[in-house]
Amino acid sequence: MFIYFTRRLLYLIPMLLGISFLIYLGLELTPGDILSYLLPPEAIADMKPEELAAMREALGLNDPFIIRYIYWLGGILQGDFGYSLASGVPISQLVLERVPATLELSVAALLFSTFLGVILGSISALRRGSLLDNSLTIFGMIGVSIPEFIFGLSALVIFALQLEWLPVGKRLMPGYDSYWDHMPHLVMPAMVLGLIMTAGVMRYTRSSMLDSLNKEFIRTARSKGIPEWRINFIHGLRVALIPVVVLIGFRLPMLIGGTVIIEQVFQWPGIGNLFVNAVRGQNYPLVMMISFLSVTAVLFASFLIDLLTALLDPRIKLE
Amino acid sequence: MTRRPTRLDKKFDLLREKTERGALKAASSNRALNKLASNKLAVLGLAFVTIMILSSVFAPLVTQYDPQKVDLRMMLKPPSADHILGTDKIGRDVFARIIYGGRISILVGLGSALGAALIGVSIGAYTAYKGGWLDSTFLRISEVVMSFPQIILVLMLVTILGQSLMNLIIIFTLTGWGSLYRLTRAQMLSLREEEYVQALRAFGLNTFTICFKHILPNALGPIMVNITLSTAMFILQEAGLSFLGLGVPLNIPTWGNILNVAQDLRILQNYWWVWLPSAMTISLFVLAINFVGDGLRDTTDPTMQG
Amino acid sequence: MSANQKVLSVKDLKTYIYVNNRCNKALDGVSFDAYRGKTLCIVGESGCGKSITASSITQLLPKLSRIESGEIVYHSEKGDIRIDQLERNGQEMRALRGAEISMIFQDPMTALNPVYRIGAQISEGLQYHSKNTLAQLKQISIELLQQMGIPLAEQRVDDYPHQFSGGMRQRAMIAMAMSCKPKILIADEPTTALDVTIQAQIFELIEELKQRNNTAVILITHDMGVVAELADHVAVMYMGNIVEQGTVDDVLRRPAHPYTEALLKSIPILGKGKQQQITPIQGSTPDPYQRPKGCQFTPRCPYATEQCQAFPSFQSISETHDTLCWHSEKVLSNA
Repeated sequence: MFIYFTRRLLYLIPMLLGISFLIYLGLELTPGDILSYLLPPEAIADMKPEELAAMREALGLNDPFIIRYIYWLGGILQGDFGYSLASGVPISQLVLERVPATLELSVAALLFSTFLGVILGSISALRRGSLLDNSLTIFGMIGVSIPEFIFGLSALVIFALQLEWLPVGKRLMPGYDSYWDHMPHLVMPAMVLGLIMTAGVMRYTRSSMLDSLNKEFIRTARSKGIPEWRINFIHGLRVALIPVVVLIGFRLPMLIGGTVIIEQVFQWPGIGNLFVNAVRGQNYPLVMMISFLSVTAVLFASFLIDLLTALLDPRIKLE
Repeated sequence: MTRRPTRLDKKFDLLREKTERGALKAASSNRALNKLASNKLAVLGLAFVTIMILSSVFAPLVTQYDPQKVDLRMMLKPPSADHILGTDKIGRDVFARIIYGGRISILVGLGSALGAALIGVSIGAYTAYKGGWLDSTFLRISEVVMSFPQIILVLMLVTILGQSLMNLIIIFTLTGWGSLYRLTRAQMLSLREEEYVQALRAFGLNTFTICFKHILPNALGPIMVNITLSTAMFILQEAGLSFLGLGVPLNIPTWGNILNVAQDLRILQNYWWVWLPSAMTISLFVLAINFVGDGLRDTTDPTMQG
Repeated sequence: MSANQKVLSVKDLKTYIYVNNRCNKALDGVSFDAYRGKTLCIVGESGCGKSITASSITQLLPKLSRIESGEIVYHSEKGDIRIDQLERNGQEMRALRGAEISMIFQDPMTALNPVYRIGAQISEGLQYHSKNTLAQLKQISIELLQQMGIPLAEQRVDDYPHQFSGGMRQRAMIAMAMSCKPKILIADEPTTALDVTIQAQIFELIEELKQRNNTAVILITHDMGVVAELADHVAVMYMGNIVEQGTVDDVLRRPAHPYTEALLKSIPILGKGKQQQITPIQGSTPDPYQRPKGCQFTPRCPYATEQCQAFPSFQSISETHDTLCWHSEKVLSNA
């Protein structure tokens, strides 16, 4: 088991190297002086042209491309992500400020969609062909057909503007900044993002559950004379869950991508919001670094999902 | 003690009675087509998609308004006999904008899906058939592309390439080929081992012919389904990008661009006709495509029983 | 009394399957009895309805199928139970399954749940049919595995199915089926998916357990060799009917149905050498949706006459021997 995970973790390294190389290529190809990304703006402002040239030499900007890439990668490993073009603030600082908000939103949405999707999907499979099953299937299809921001905006109009049950957006209001104060703010974005993800989880759980209920071991379980709930859930759902967890792993990029739009709709101060503003402002270094970090996040989250899959499926441990 | 009759029992009785009368005929010849036609939702979806495509292609016949014409005397007017879906912030006819917007939105969706299919299918088919280092290289590349959240990759490329209609289609194609590549590769890997392929190889046909002329057509079913569903996905993505103001340049009407105004809470709450019809159009169109795709899937893939 | 104690009687059982909007009369009037401590073999080619017979008894039928008419009576110690009238997965049916009537399936590779430990799966039925603590259940699982001849049972009880070989898995299945000491054990081709060398061991085990617990065994098979070896009674099935039944001597030595006769002629006998004559059964099994009129074997039968267009009635050859053929006399005299 330990060997399996070590190998799985080592496998991430070439992936990340490849991706970082592409990102650095993008950084070099985008317009603008790379120096202004590597140094704080006030430092550049004070320098004379010959000093700048010396600086270039010192930073290795005249070295061959591959050497420059290695320097850059070394910086990243030490936490030096460079500087934002717009504000001159270190990118690491900008990102760190925003990470908790996005993490909170995506974890809430992930948990919500997983629980709801698995429950509805298994009910659907157990009552295959019933009115409930058919309506859930149709609702699922409608769910994946509505653009996520329309869904978000409609929720905003109904629950915040008309009914005034929930706040209009943002994460914190001035003066109300304890942890529990922002829970009402979290409800709508998390529910909207979660519901969008639910449709897929539900659909997949349904088909995986149908598949597992058709397996031989279900008949074996039934031949023991144990109650139906035990056959359906302890035997059927338990086995059906394995591919569902794998699917959730595959859909992690979708979750992270979904936060970009949802954060915009609800003015949620997360990474997605920072990213969109960076794209609008042509802030190349920030765009590139956030892209890089989001893939890294996805890859590590997939690794965690793999761990979970191995815990659920004893057959994996042998490999 | 005796069992209560259920819904299934009634069905069984009917079948049994029919069998005893000898009234059951053998299944008719074109099973796939029959199955698609009997799927009401798929037929309905196909009809809706066709109507939307035709009306946006022949847009000038459907509406007499110019979608770009600004009329400052007619700002934010509710639906009326003249403007059946009202007018927007600068007096443009909303209905005309939706009909003309369909041209671009459908073009982006379908164009990108076909582009992605062209790249994904040809690379997938060829490299999977050849195998070896070529195959593993492309597999690795697709893994890298697919581990990016798609919208982030798209936006990253938008910052590099700039905002334009053509660029958007190219970017969608570049970021969206992964799933079609994976699908084609998987199909190819299993078909490659079939006996008829061995026979063709023994005949001495060249790789290219075997691969594209003899194997690929057998994998077309799932590929078609995937193209259909990709079209729906790209239309949704265009809408999402346009909502952020980062999709097709805002002066060109697309379904997404019409929705961009909904960011303004004042419009969102008070002038529903400016955004709601467009939102409904996108949702219904995508829903219709999904119905068609699902119908296709059921006919081509016997293992996916609904 | 102890010699021929009936535990199960099936009378004129009809089970139909409704798949693809058609009705397949899988069982069309099947009758037989099973006795304590005796083995009944049900033989026939695939698709003849052997497995449907087995799953009718435990009501483990596919969803799109139904017992149409007939009786399945379980003669329990507390009186007779009409199994065919019980709710399929209702409480009364569940109380019988595993505890009174248990099953062993064909493929031990797929019949065990891959995500649970062997021990837990063996004692799961017992957990519901008796009052034991978890520690006791585990101890029972270990003892059962030991009885099945699995070495290091204390350790193997915590293994997962994929860590077991095919033969070991089938032993675990038998342990599972025997865990509540059932009165009837139904084994549906228990060795088809296993190596030939394992076959004998598995059958030996079943035989031993049968004798120890005085269990009635219903063994479904297509292997005449197995029948000759293990059976006390034999029922030969063809296209949803039992065409001949009797004691093992009756059926194997004095076949009275053309199908049984043809079946016996079609198999080579070990040790008889290369000279023996093997005659394959002519023709092929008819499509169950386009059944022949009258006797189902007519199109392939060398004895067929006009009379066979009418469905035959049971002909009694002796007290223990019945056949479903108009021409049983001719078949008997031929042998």
